[in-house]
Amino acid sequence: MRLDEVWFRYGRRGPWVLREVAVTAEPGQIVVIEGRNGAGKSTLLQLAAGVLRPGRGAVRDRPPVTGWVPERFPAEQPFTVAQYLAAMARLRGLRAAEATAAVDGWTERLGLAAYRHVKLPALSKGTAQKVGLAQALLRPPGLLILDEPWEGLDGPTRELVPELVAEVAGAGGSVLVSDHRGETARLPDAVRWTVADGRVSVTVPAASPMCVVELAVPVAAAADAVAALRAAGHQVLRVRQREAS
Amino acid sequence: MTALTRMRLAAFVRTGRAYAPLIAGLVVLGVLHGGGAAQAAEAYGVSAVVLFPVLAWQTKLLLDAEPDLQRRLALVAAGPGRELAAGLLAGALAGAATVVIGLLSPWLVGGITGPREPGDLPLGEGIALGVWAHLLALAAAVALGALASRAVTGSPRHGLVVLVGGAVAALAFGMKASVAPWAVPPLMSTARALTGAPGAGTVAMLTLHALAWAVLALAGYARLRRARR
Repeated sequence: MRLDEVWFRYGRRGPWVLREVAVTAEPGQIVVIEGRNGAGKSTLLQLAAGVLRPGRGAVRDRPPVTGWVPERFPAEQPFTVAQYLAAMARLRGLRAAEATAAVDGWTERLGLAAYRHVKLPALSKGTAQKVGLAQALLRPPGLLILDEPWEGLDGPTRELVPELVAEVAGAGGSVLVSDHRGETARLPDAVRWTVADGRVSVTVPAASPMCVVELAVPVAAAADAVAALRAAGHQVLRVRQREAS
Repeated sequence: MTALTRMRLAAFVRTGRAYAPLIAGLVVLGVLHGGGAAQAAEAYGVSAVVLFPVLAWQTKLLLDAEPDLQRRLALVAAGPGRELAAGLLAGALAGAATVVIGLLSPWLVGGITGPREPGDLPLGEGIALGVWAHLLALAAAVALGALASRAVTGSPRHGLVVLVGGAVAALAFGMKASVAPWAVPPLMSTARALTGAPGAGTVAMLTLHALAWAVLALAGYARLRRARR
């Protein structure tokens, strides 16, 4: 996904909020968006998600499945957690059985199982934020956009966010994360996009020295092992048959 | 699209927003048909005119029931085209339910009589023309309601101006001596045509006029939504 010379302003006569933004998020890349409050981080994320349209330029190569978690989940809706997530899953094109499996899986993983039959307006801010996180992950996203995802979350779920980010990136998705609380220190290998004075500058982290670790696993468990290693943020270089000894 | 249409209809009913236009519709239809009996085509022609603002208001309420942020989440999940079409389809389905109530209501208060004199339209033909008049009104009302929705107008005041302005203009410019009858949906001219026995040519022209107006208004809606995401 790339922003190609993107300019944006709110309204026809407003000042440009973003100017000449030309950045690319590669598949498998994690990008942290930095900048002071009001610098345009959320605007940049909404342009990437397709929620806002650029005034000039274009957003290109956006993957077919995009997950967007806004800073505040819109909880004023007359649905229970389960009804809402099931509707969003169907909206994302999942069949009934797939939708049920996805909703069950994510409510369990994000600690929402006890709230399945609670109406959205009755949820605390943190629990509502988890629903926001779940709706973005119901289909594995090729682009995951998290706007201040740590805001209001409880301890265990805060720990879970870097794990989810790594999983999406490990599966080949791009992840954009904004944060003003310093939580993105948990994502040390992420590329940094800094938004200031309407422009975006890119900082690539210095590469740490790498080594190759060879390991052997049963053939039947190879796919799971590769997925687990990628989810943990490691690069899997290749898979080969072990020579008979 | 079906999932999003269902979700929006469910939100419209569960938030209670569906009741106000329904009650308003029943009141105006009660006043209209309770005053005396008329032949089917004539009675339905007038009921399509009075239901037009109610149907437009209903569409606006339905589209406004969803929080702005949820509309954006739906847009990301379903894509802009399907998000837009699902809202219009939900508006049309809710409107169709109100139209059915509108078509049944005169029978409850004795508001319709059969043909009285030679040359009067048979009852079945009158009812068919009545259904047609309501469908023309529904298409135009969904388009007006969409143009008045918060996603386009941004504020309740602007939304009200578009809704009321559109409804008043449809009546004012639909008068017999209007200077620009083509600028508004042909509600009044349809009602006038239904006081007699409209020929196939009249029906075709009015249908074409109503569809062209609705298509243009919906194209404007799509363009404004694209610009004001």
